[in-house]
Amino acid sequence: MSSADILTCVDLAIGHGSHVIMDRLNLSLPAGKILAIVGPSGCGKSTLMRALGGLDAPLGGTTTLMGVDLNSAEGVRRQDILRQTGFLFQGSALFSSLTLRENIEMPMREFLKAPRQEIRQLAEYKLALVGLADAMDKLPSEISGGMAKRAGIARAMALDPTVIFLDEPSAGLDPVSSGRLDELILRLRDAFGTTVVLVSHEIPSILRTADFCVYLDPDTGTMGAYGPPKSFLQAGQPPKVHAFFSQAHFD
Amino acid sequence: MSHAPTGLPFARTDVLADGTAVVTIGGAWNLDSALPAIAIKGDRVKVVAEELTDFDSSLPAWLYAHFKNIRQLDLTALPARLQSLVQMAEKATFSDTHAHDTGFLEHFGTWGVESGSSWGRALEHIGHTTLGFLRMLVGRAKVNWADFKLELQTAGVDALPIVALLGFLTGLIMAYVGLIQLRLVGATVYVANLVSLAMTREMGALMTGIIACGRTSTAYASQLGSMNVSQETDALRALGINPIEYLAVPRILAVTLMVPLLAVFATFIGIFGGMVVACAGDLSIEQYLTQAVRAITFKSFLVGLIKSVAFGFIAAWAGCYRGSVAKRSALGVGEAATSAAVLGITFIVISDALFAVIFNLFDL
Ligand SMILES: Nc1ncnc2c1ncn2[C@@H]1O[C@H](COP(=O)(O)OP(=O)(O)O)[C@@H](O)[C@H]1O
Ligand SMILES: [Mg+2]
Repeated sequence: MSSADILTCVDLAIGHGSHVIMDRLNLSLPAGKILAIVGPSGCGKSTLMRALGGLDAPLGGTTTLMGVDLNSAEGVRRQDILRQTGFLFQGSALFSSLTLRENIEMPMREFLKAPRQEIRQLAEYKLALVGLADAMDKLPSEISGGMAKRAGIARAMALDPTVIFLDEPSAGLDPVSSGRLDELILRLRDAFGTTVVLVSHEIPSILRTADFCVYLDPDTGTMGAYGPPKSFLQAGQPPKVHAFFSQAHFD
Repeated sequence: MSHAPTGLPFARTDVLADGTAVVTIGGAWNLDSALPAIAIKGDRVKVVAEELTDFDSSLPAWLYAHFKNIRQLDLTALPARLQSLVQMAEKATFSDTHAHDTGFLEHFGTWGVESGSSWGRALEHIGHTTLGFLRMLVGRAKVNWADFKLELQTAGVDALPIVALLGFLTGLIMAYVGLIQLRLVGATVYVANLVSLAMTREMGALMTGIIACGRTSTAYASQLGSMNVSQETDALRALGINPIEYLAVPRILAVTLMVPLLAVFATFIGIFGGMVVACAGDLSIEQYLTQAVRAITFKSFLVGLIKSVAFGFIAAWAGCYRGSVAKRSALGVGEAATSAAVLGITFIVISDALFAVIFNLFDL
């Protein structure tokens, strides 16, 4: 772990209530890198991401984000870090009573001093980035799951986060669109140095975008491997990890 | 992102001989700065940068907003990363395979602390709510004021018809029952005292509080409960916004303000309801009104008002509390609505009894 790491976890245990589903998790991610979390369905990827983002308290060990332990940080300090992160939830979690445009504008109105007109402009731009320029005035109930995902991505990008967490961003997208999304993620990272943590099931997409990858193994209850995703394809990896990565299709 | 800004963002337009507008941009652009305004004529634009020290997404957003409809747009003189950020917005087309919304529906859990008894949780929620109000007072809370305005309408104004109807009938019933007894002793004129005093001190606030439990507590429990199911409350927390401050505080504030107004309204309507019965044979309108005015003291008015403030708070809080601890399922939301109404009415009646004891002690 070096001081340049923007996200670290040491002996982290995660779960729900008092039930631990994964423990002995040790990760460190340098700023501006892309981390992919992979593993079979239900192994705890979303749970891990919520812990890394400081939304749920760990059941053991520590996580730090931008040098701050969010679990012990309080008040303004905690809020300041959260304001610099963006979160796409697996279920999109759009505010159902607001249009897509209002969903993106909400964090801007709460946190930016910019005038209305500029906030409008920003929201339109971010929605255009995810291809929703024509659906801005729709309500979340009027759009498809894939569109909701993309609107959720736009909202996560609303405040130009330093770290962005994306839970299955490409779910519901066809392969071509999924490729575009990869490109968008890479360009944002390159333009603004954004650190990205994402959950994905698509190995080709992970190979294209991620700098690091962690494989969660439900059988051992801990991480099976951590490193650059390309190294997972090479020999010498635990057989399960190798098999998971060499596999072409996933459920 | 934190940048050290140097120089305000600027944009300048020069028109070349061939009609091309050359827009020069520069300075430090960030989400919080006031951005320049420009007017563009024609459909050929070239954008160049000059002393462009720093930018975040406000600059590509500004470029996209101003030039998305320009047919011949030349961005080649801009830094490559900026060009790509504008082009990404222009050519973004995505298509979806199918709705793929798994995840949250398979999860059954609760928002907030799972440990401790429900009494412990209720107390904790009251504590957080109080803290939210204090933070609102010192201007530190993020409160959804749009919800506040909406709730003044839906929890307040929209309740007028039902409050009027039930208030009227309550007064009417009391007068009817009262007269049966008072006729025996030949003191029918006191029916005005009975109805007006009871409405002012007791029934106006109580009826309105119970109506608020039926209409508002249940509504809040299902609103907040389903926001829980769809992870909307998580999305707020991820932004560093406290859901209690953002969602519960404006609702509770609106209801706590509106229930007393509705209670005063119910009181007058109830007294009128009593008058209809009393003046149908026993009293003249003048007699009834004189007695009623004599019976209502400032003290009893104050008692009714204090109670109605408390009842409004209880009704709104019960809804917000049950909603926030609702189980993450459709069933959980339904249960939250039911239990909110039960909790609200129970607490209102209990606190009404406590008020009776306290007001008796203070001789109100
Ligand atoms: N809120 C919750 N309460 C209790 N158990 C949960 C909750 N959310 C998820 N789980 C359980 O935790 C495990 C991991 O879930 P999750 O992190 O969503 O998996 P993944 O994202 O890898 O598919 C699953 O077995 C799931 O049923
Ligand atoms: Mg998941």
